[in-house]
Amino acid sequence: MSDVLEKIMDAIDIETYIVSKNEDEAEKFAMELMEKLGFKDISIVFIQHRGPGARVRARGYIYKPGDRYGWLFN
Amino acid sequence: MIDKKKVLLAPLDPVHDIGLKMIKRGLENKGHETILIPPDYSPEEIIKSIIDNDVDIVLVSRTLGYGVAEVLGKFIDLAEASGIRDKVKIGIGGMAVRPELAAELGFDAGFGPGTSVDEAVAFVEGREYVPAENRSKKNKKDITEGYDYLFHNKKIEKLLDSIVDGILDYVSDKTTTAIQRAQIRRQILESNSESEKQKLRRDYSKLCDDVIKSFYESGKYREKTRPMTNDEVDALNQYVDAVNSRMNPLYLQHVDKNPVVFIQYGTGCPFMDIAHIKSCEAWGADGAVHFDPSWGARTEGFLEGYITHEEDGSVITYENLKSIKKSLLPNTLWQVRAHRGLNTPETVLLAGKIGADLTKINIAYGSLGGGTDPERLTVDAVEAIKYAAEFNMPFDVVTNEELCGVPAYKAFAGMLIVSKLGLRLGAKPILQPLFCYSPEVMISGQMEDNYVDFNAAKIYCLRNIVNAPIWCGAPIGFLTQTEDRVQSSLMTSLHASLASSLGVDGISIASSDEAFSGGPITIPARIDTLRATQSSFRFFGQSNIVPTDNAHKWAKEIEEGIEAVLELVLKNGNFVNALYQGILGSKEDGAYPGRAGRDSVMKKIY
Repeated sequence: MSDVLEKIMDAIDIETYIVSKNEDEAEKFAMELMEKLGFKDISIVFIQHRGPGARVRARGYIYKPGDRYGWLFN
Repeated sequence: MIDKKKVLLAPLDPVHDIGLKMIKRGLENKGHETILIPPDYSPEEIIKSIIDNDVDIVLVSRTLGYGVAEVLGKFIDLAEASGIRDKVKIGIGGMAVRPELAAELGFDAGFGPGTSVDEAVAFVEGREYVPAENRSKKNKKDITEGYDYLFHNKKIEKLLDSIVDGILDYVSDKTTTAIQRAQIRRQILESNSESEKQKLRRDYSKLCDDVIKSFYESGKYREKTRPMTNDEVDALNQYVDAVNSRMNPLYLQHVDKNPVVFIQYGTGCPFMDIAHIKSCEAWGADGAVHFDPSWGARTEGFLEGYITHEEDGSVITYENLKSIKKSLLPNTLWQVRAHRGLNTPETVLLAGKIGADLTKINIAYGSLGGGTDPERLTVDAVEAIKYAAEFNMPFDVVTNEELCGVPAYKAFAGMLIVSKLGLRLGAKPILQPLFCYSPEVMISGQMEDNYVDFNAAKIYCLRNIVNAPIWCGAPIGFLTQTEDRVQSSLMTSLHASLASSLGVDGISIASSDEAFSGGPITIPARIDTLRATQSSFRFFGQSNIVPTDNAHKWAKEIEEGIEAVLELVLKNGNFVNALYQGILGSKEDGAYPGRAGRDSVMKKIY
């Protein structure tokens, strides 16, 4: 993990709009996006598809409760 | 004495000059002379105005972001070339300006978005800007202050008194292992002898479930818990000290009537809890509510030490609570919940010993919606309330059994019984109606048109009955929020303003992750709703949300329903049996008497 990620308290949310045919496709793209960005612990927090695409909030957890938090030691 | 200055205010922008107009008023109030030139002047024209008016200081503003560096760079170059740079102080500000940009271009000061008029005046007067003391110092508010608990509905008061007599008589010859453990824990905390403490721990462990007993006997931790390491504890202390040294908390309230705002934490890890609390304090939260794990409520006995937990709910130990308390700002209200479970007396004892401000106790909810046996919780709760009174900790009487489907009038009857019990035992109860989209109204349709009327009806009803503090819970807006953080924050903030409009004393707010169940709540999600609540308070100010006539009609119906339920409880002759029999919430309503601690109440041995 790079130093800057250790400064994230818990998670990184990516909010975007994905051009897609339906919600399933949008969710697939969102997961691909997060994986491409290197996130391991991924959740789709919110997704809503209407017409041209989907509004999406995807989350990559950096630390979960009980982990050893990098920001605590710097 | 400050020298009076001549100040030119120059909008280097096609249209925007509101900020300069506000600063102009601030400067003139301090006796300075100002000249405000119109927008859309060129840099050359502004330089000419500076020379023609022979000013001491120039404040230039720029709102539009495009080309800002080029325009400001050109302006400062012209100022140099015209020979005024050495004689005139030049500051720039506005939405498009950042202090770093100002410094880079060679201005004397840069004021970005959020700059106060006082800050600009301080620059003109050549003094250091010090934020007003009264806005940087928050006070801890006692939300029970000013309430005399006078019952306006005397019929209800009389019924409650009779029911409370029955409860006190019922518990008078009974005890539980939870009561005994609390007594031992108190001795452990107050003992100065290590050998005595060890003996007391052995006595304590005999009164615990096996999983806790094995911790005291062999040091074994429950699954998914682990002790924090010494370096983690040291790092936490350093983290808290560093954060506290730079804290300057925001205010959420815009007017005096806005209620105090609580957040609820319980990430599982006391360190992550503390990190969340510190961020919430910074963004204006007035209080924090401790959430313990659900298994803790079904387990006889508490662990000891700094312990983290991989699932929701933060383990109650003296050390965990102490570290959380130690981290709080002096003005932050702190509540430790003891409303359900097999350790309620010890929870309140620990909270009181550590200095919590508030606790949470409700026999009806804890036994009908919280999984604890009604008889067990009744006996334990009386003891817990006595501790709350001893430590002067007001307690809220939460009515979340409504979330099971119990109608408000039944839940309120239970809340009022426990409140009257609290008053009798010398404590200060706080009424906590659910302020949300409850199953009752989903089925009965009272919120088909709006979310306002039925929530207002609840507050009107309680105000009609008794002069007591009200803290809307928990969290407000529950079941109206979705996973969308904008919608979720908006629903929270509207409920917050409705609560404020109704004159309540406190609210518990959710994060914008409230409806998301796929992982832990994040700190940005907490800040979302704090910011939304602050904006909503700002928007409504002293104005009010006006419910329709339905609110008063339904308030009356709830009040009548409460009277009928209390009569039934009294007729039944016994509060505990009334809980088992569903008078305060039935299986048909969705309430089930809890099983944790069933048949564990013992006769006192004198």
